[in-house]
Amino acid sequence: MITTVKKSKGRIVVDWLTTTDHKKIGYLYLMTAVIYFMIAGVMALIIRAQLAMPGLTIVQTKEQYNQLFTMHGTIMLLMFATPLFAGFANVLMPLQIGAPDVAFPRLNAIAYWFYFFGSFVAVAGFFTPQGAASFGWFAYAPLSNTTFSPGLGGDLWVFGLALSGFGTIMGGVNFITTIVTMRAPGMTMFRLPIFTWNTLVTSILVIMCFPPLAAALFALGADRKFGAHIFEAANGGPMLWQHLFWFFGHPEVYILALPFFGIVSEIFPVFSRKPIFGYRTLVYATIAIAALSMTVWAHHMYVTGSVLLPFFAFTTMLIAVPTGVKIFNWIGTMWRGSVTFETPMVFALGFLTTFIFGGLTGVILASPTLDFHLSDSYFVVAHFHYVVFGTVVFAMFGGFYFWWPKMTGKMLNERLGKIHFWLLFIGFHTTFLIQHWLGVIGMPRRYYTYLQNDGFTWMNQVSSFGALILGLSMIPFLWNVWITHRNGVRVEMNDPWGYGRSLEWATASPIPRHNFTSIPRIRSESPAFDLNHPDYASPEAKVAVKAKAK
Amino acid sequence: MKTNKNIFLLLTVFYLVVTGVYGYWSSVAYGQIEVIGTAAIGMLVFLSGFIAFYFGKTANNFTGAEDFPDANIEDGEAEAGFFAPFSWWPLALGISSALCFTALAVGWWLFVCGFPLALVALIGFVFEHSRGAHAH
Repeated sequence: MITTVKKSKGRIVVDWLTTTDHKKIGYLYLMTAVIYFMIAGVMALIIRAQLAMPGLTIVQTKEQYNQLFTMHGTIMLLMFATPLFAGFANVLMPLQIGAPDVAFPRLNAIAYWFYFFGSFVAVAGFFTPQGAASFGWFAYAPLSNTTFSPGLGGDLWVFGLALSGFGTIMGGVNFITTIVTMRAPGMTMFRLPIFTWNTLVTSILVIMCFPPLAAALFALGADRKFGAHIFEAANGGPMLWQHLFWFFGHPEVYILALPFFGIVSEIFPVFSRKPIFGYRTLVYATIAIAALSMTVWAHHMYVTGSVLLPFFAFTTMLIAVPTGVKIFNWIGTMWRGSVTFETPMVFALGFLTTFIFGGLTGVILASPTLDFHLSDSYFVVAHFHYVVFGTVVFAMFGGFYFWWPKMTGKMLNERLGKIHFWLLFIGFHTTFLIQHWLGVIGMPRRYYTYLQNDGFTWMNQVSSFGALILGLSMIPFLWNVWITHRNGVRVEMNDPWGYGRSLEWATASPIPRHNFTSIPRIRSESPAFDLNHPDYASPEAKVAVKAKAK
Repeated sequence: MKTNKNIFLLLTVFYLVVTGVYGYWSSVAYGQIEVIGTAAIGMLVFLSGFIAFYFGKTANNFTGAEDFPDANIEDGEAEAGFFAPFSWWPLALGISSALCFTALAVGWWLFVCGFPLALVALIGFVFEHSRGAHAH
């Protein structure tokens, strides 16, 4: 029973500021992350406008251009995608394990506020006279020291990210504790929904790789502000920084990827009307990816000439195996299923196709001989946008359309959702597919402009045109959110999609304060499906029903 | 609980092997061990080993209805735990920590302002629901 009491505006603001409810904190994460997504998206559009023709000066100075691509990367990775994981995990993971909240609700709130204020400090560099950080999002030494990058913007970047990183670590600890200690009776580890598994594994990655980042950032801060010489070139500082940074930086990519693999693993079975194909292999593949991802970092450093090429080439190619297993799992789930193409499913398919391209170019870049030619070219830019945009953005929108009725009680509009998808899909591929060839013919990344006779012009024009479509694709989404908020019809049922599997579909939409008024018996990884479709329930659940009948 | 322990045990063994292989291989290739990477993966052995040890040690105390495949919902403990309904302290701690971290970039004068606030917020956070020792 939900009673709605009209609250004053001040009361609502106070409720949000002091909340310890995992769902509200999750929504705060999601909203903040989407706002940063749009800010960094506008930066990307300005970058693409600058590159649309040779010799343009849309961005007035080269320094400003450096600030734009630095902050675009920083925001997209650490203020959009990583907190987006925390947002989805916060809203859904306690529901999926049948818990009333997370293990440490107040720590959860601290994690959010650290992220919120830390990100604000890092971005606040734009309001200083010299502007924001401009040394690239991976801040290579010695470029990131005060001799080559003076100014307050860089200092704010360093300490803002450190603060935000502590928030991420707290969030990770909280998620692990919750999954270990707060599962509902009968929810054994091998009945956890895949999204919850991926939240667990991602959180383990967080506690493994964010502490080295915090250490490296504090060391860089000490160099910049307090006269330390940790990353001095004379002491091998550049290699130290690169090792430490990428020891964080590569697992970070999997922190971005794994939760979104989890989201599509929830979407595919529901719209294929089949259980996930190869549940255990999917779990083991996730663990294998996490374990291996800590051992591949120096493939970002091939061109330094002082890393162990065969070791890192081997581990990097090895990681393609569990990733391939996952792709088989998803295709196997759809195989001979009754597939329907609602918006979440369409976004999940968009993810699958885009991500496969990014994975394949990843194998190409894992080979040192090819990487020497392609490193720091637009080929790399195209590769990581296929991987990261393919997973994070497509799966994010899939997740929004999928869980919107659960979160708000109203379905998003299907037609606008389809328009949104096709604009996004066409815009994305127009922007980034062509960049592979730009890289092959030699256009380096991060250059302010290029010459007419470089021969890069028409490809850049195609790419910039695609970026325009990509930017426009946000309009149908925002419009959809608005009209659904205004005119959407309440769904009034637990499972509006009809074939929902995990526990969040066994409670009301929107979700009551402590999540459940009652929890169905858990006999498989899809208790909500077993409850609503007893004839097609998993064998274990059927046995339980028969035993009860006797 | 056992599954949790096994995951971290698996990671411990894996990182132990990788540390050995990487350290040895780099020493053969360069004439000396590549210290940074070997140390970094070596730390993961300790991290995952420590958590595996803790889970193994506490498995008997913490194995509940959630680990039995045929448990019913009513088999769970009646009291799910204590959940603070709301709290001002996370926000206070967030703002004051942000002041301290900004101070590192801007100057010590700001630290002097931020640190006492952070201290108050931290104490407030820790003791918010405390009713003293041995009280329940």
